[in-house]
Amino acid sequence: MELVYSQRQSRQESAELPDRDLAVRARGGDMVAFETLVTRKTSAVVSLARRIVGNSEDARDVAQMVFLRVWNEIHRYDEKYSLNTWLYRIATNLSIDFLRSSRSRERAHGATLHIVREREESTASDATRNAEDAELARLFETVSGRLSEKQKAAFVLREMQDCETREIAEILGCGESTVRNHLFNARRILRREIGRLFPEFLRGRPLA
Amino acid sequence: MSPLCPILRAAGSLEDYRRDALPAPQRRILRDHLAACAECRGLAAAQDPTMLFARPFSAEELPEEDARRILANVRTAVAFAETERRIRRSSRRRFAGAAAAAAAFGALLLMTPGGGSDRVELAAARPTPSATGDASAAAPSELASRAVQPAALTAETDGLPTDATVYEWSPGAGREEPRVVWIVDRGLDI
Repeated sequence: MELVYSQRQSRQESAELPDRDLAVRARGGDMVAFETLVTRKTSAVVSLARRIVGNSEDARDVAQMVFLRVWNEIHRYDEKYSLNTWLYRIATNLSIDFLRSSRSRERAHGATLHIVREREESTASDATRNAEDAELARLFETVSGRLSEKQKAAFVLREMQDCETREIAEILGCGESTVRNHLFNARRILRREIGRLFPEFLRGRPLA
Repeated sequence: MSPLCPILRAAGSLEDYRRDALPAPQRRILRDHLAACAECRGLAAAQDPTMLFARPFSAEELPEEDARRILANVRTAVAFAETERRIRRSSRRRFAGAAAAAAAFGALLLMTPGGGSDRVELAAARPTPSATGDASAAAPSELASRAVQPAALTAETDGLPTDATVYEWSPGAGREEPRVVWIVDRGLDI
């Protein structure tokens, strides 16, 4: 009884702590702090992974791998740095690895076909912000198939996760100029793919 | 871009945005405005369709059941990883312990008067794999007759798993003096 009460109290305490403190506690072997961190970050990690790997099912698998990696590597976490950057780094790298596997490629292809169909069937009544986000996310999944893993990761981190270029360089383990290069090329390819698959987005272009 | 939109004009040009040349505050203003203003978004997308993505995205809302399942799977994976780690750690400790015991045994043999020359005899006295079960009968008598003096050295395996050997060393053989006992993994035996 006492143990249950103490665990509940510990969970309540953990729920109020900032990310960094939770990570420090988890580094000391505190499982409750680690689980609080998992609960708090699951949505963000799944979102990021989904945008890179291209489908929700794989994104959930990647998220589990991410948190297991976090637990195994937590002793390396330096609280001087942002936990999100560290977490995104792990999530991005595992998503890229996943995307590189042939199985994932096949699934992404299947998902893309499904998404195109889904988009064709979707109604124009998506007025809310979340619906627009979902629509844009689907559009991105459809047109991003031609991007390299790094280009895709850089674009997702910059545009969808709103990370700084410096942060992306840290996450991808490259220089800032390389990140800018990835972004430039990603934009070029996406522009071409949107124009090819969804020319309606180009209608009304004033300087065409 | 719409010339009627002062917010975007204040934020900076789309070209700068695309070249990643806007300072962070201006970039934020531009993105927030594009998210809120359908007209500007349409015009920006007409110039460059990748501007459709230039807006803050909300994190995907995960159904509670999925989040719970992910947490449960992570918990299981962590428990498994921890168990594996504990097993690895304990077998490393066992290995280190056996190695230390073997090293201590070797050092003691060398320190014993005449110990160096006795090593050959010890090797002869060591039970062979086939004699593992009853080596205690042969080893003490052989060692008592020709092994280290004044120490008595015996090798016993009675009642032990077949992959371990017990060595006993009595510095004052026959007298009531402390004895030293080693249990050595056969794979590490010297």
